Amino acid sequence: MEGILAIGFEQGLLYSFLVLGVFFTFRVLDFPDLTVDGSLVLGAGATAILVTNGVSVFLATGVGVIAGACAGVVTGLIHILLKSGSSDTNYGPKLIAGILTTTALYSINLRVMGRSNVPLLHEKSMFDHIGDLISVNMTRWSLVLGLLVIALLVKLVLDWFLHTELGLAMQALGDNEQMIRSLGVNTNRVRILGLAIANGLVALTGGLVAQQQGYADIGMGFGALVAGLGGVIIGEVVFGMRSIRWVLFSVMAGSIVYRILVAVGLRIDWIRPTDLKLLTAVLVLIALATPTIRSRVVRS
Amino acid sequence: MTGTGGLRVEGAVKVFFTGTPNEVRALDGLSLDMRPGDFVTIIGSNGAGKSTLLNAVAGTFPIDHGEIWLDDKELTQRPEHLRAQSIGRVFQDPRAGTAPSLSIEENLCLAMLRGKRRGLARGLSASRRASVKGQLSQLGMGLEERPRSAVAKLSGGQRQALSLLMATITRPQLLLLDEHTAALDPKVAATIMDLTTQIVTRERLTTLMVTHNMELALSRGNRLMMMHAGRVILDVAGADKSSLTVPELVRKFHEVAGETLASDRMLLE
Repeated sequence: MEGILAIGFEQGLLYSFLVLGVFFTFRVLDFPDLTVDGSLVLGAGATAILVTNGVSVFLATGVGVIAGACAGVVTGLIHILLKSGSSDTNYGPKLIAGILTTTALYSINLRVMGRSNVPLLHEKSMFDHIGDLISVNMTRWSLVLGLLVIALLVKLVLDWFLHTELGLAMQALGDNEQMIRSLGVNTNRVRILGLAIANGLVALTGGLVAQQQGYADIGMGFGALVAGLGGVIIGEVVFGMRSIRWVLFSVMAGSIVYRILVAVGLRIDWIRPTDLKLLTAVLVLIALATPTIRSRVVRS
Repeated sequence: MTGTGGLRVEGAVKVFFTGTPNEVRALDGLSLDMRPGDFVTIIGSNGAGKSTLLNAVAGTFPIDHGEIWLDDKELTQRPEHLRAQSIGRVFQDPRAGTAPSLSIEENLCLAMLRGKRRGLARGLSASRRASVKGQLSQLGMGLEERPRSAVAKLSGGQRQALSLLMATITRPQLLLLDEHTAALDPKVAATIMDLTTQIVTRERLTTLMVTHNMELALSRGNRLMMMHAGRVILDVAGADKSSLTVPELVRKFHEVAGETLASDRMLLE
């Protein structure tokens, strides 16, 4: 049981940046962004290839984040090309823009990595370095503690940003695009910035996961979006959405709960590790359908 | 004749669904000239092109031909968000003018930054918060008591009052009102209309108000325009307008348009 909790916390916090990124696009920007599956691998691949070439792991992680942000910018630019004339609530161009970027990223990621798998077996992770620095042996729980500190820092930065003049405009963009445009905001620019932030966060998860598991793999992004959505929805349902500050916390906690559920699922005898994606899809389906089913039950 | 906000539209043409059987000439060479400080009411039957005119001025879509000028600035090619620096707008749907999940004060803060660069400074600074409170109390709706409530919790009338405040808080050169009281119940509509007159008069805003309601069009503003088939077919101002009555307006419509009134709705109101 303690093992499951430790894994849940560790994985949940590693993936909390992905969940924040998915929350940012789906909820704040009202932009269901499918770039995620590709930008996660881009973050992991860029970080891994730089580390194996002797670049400091901190710098490599940062470059990975910037690469992910660039992927978000590309999706935003494609969206501008495709959306002309369609209404603000037409999700078609948004979905296609993300699909195109993710598809292109598959090839780009292979170019970046040079092969489909980049091992990091003898490289120290960011956390090992931090552990050395403060002379702490990085056990699973001390890793969790380190991740928690980083996650809270990221959350505080997002809290601050969302309440700046620009951040408020970004929140309003997802809420009522016509209105914020009629207040003189260049919605294209704000949306691209939002997509960059979101995919930068996703790439951060990619970079950290690569360091923690010891390799970057071309297939590691598959289903990332659905997994991120799982964290978002579980967080919102379990911990509530009182305010934007609170909901950021909710989805991060949701990420942990989600990973604990996955860890529990994998302990069941007849479930194989390769069933993970099926399990993921079912978990997200249950979380998505719960409000609908509950309201039907209440009505009848 | 002092102040800013002279709007000039020259030969504006807007065709929708070009080249299809559904082709509509929503604006058919429309021209109008508003002096700074004019409060123009626009009436016309359904499909006359009233909303298209407001959208064309605001820049929701580009026009096919013609020019649009605000004072000495040509707007014709400008994107919507740049025109919005000098144009405030209230829509018919009370939900259209506000962001529902943000608070009342956050919405107003967004509006105070109309046309300004939005940076990384705190949105709701202490000074903005105080100013928001003062502005809200002028609405007389008690919103200043709960500036942190989400806008989604407000009634249609409250949301429209807030939209009106948001559209006018930076004193834009031009205010566009697109049947902004049509979706409200009569009592609330009257309140919002009084508030509108109050703000427009106090701030001396150049205003273009579209309405379906002839009484309203006659009782408000200093100038009335009637639209038909994408053009302005009647333009009365000053004393001519104040002496005009609803039956006369209907008669004039027949005279100028030379056909029966297209919309019963216009007669009924």
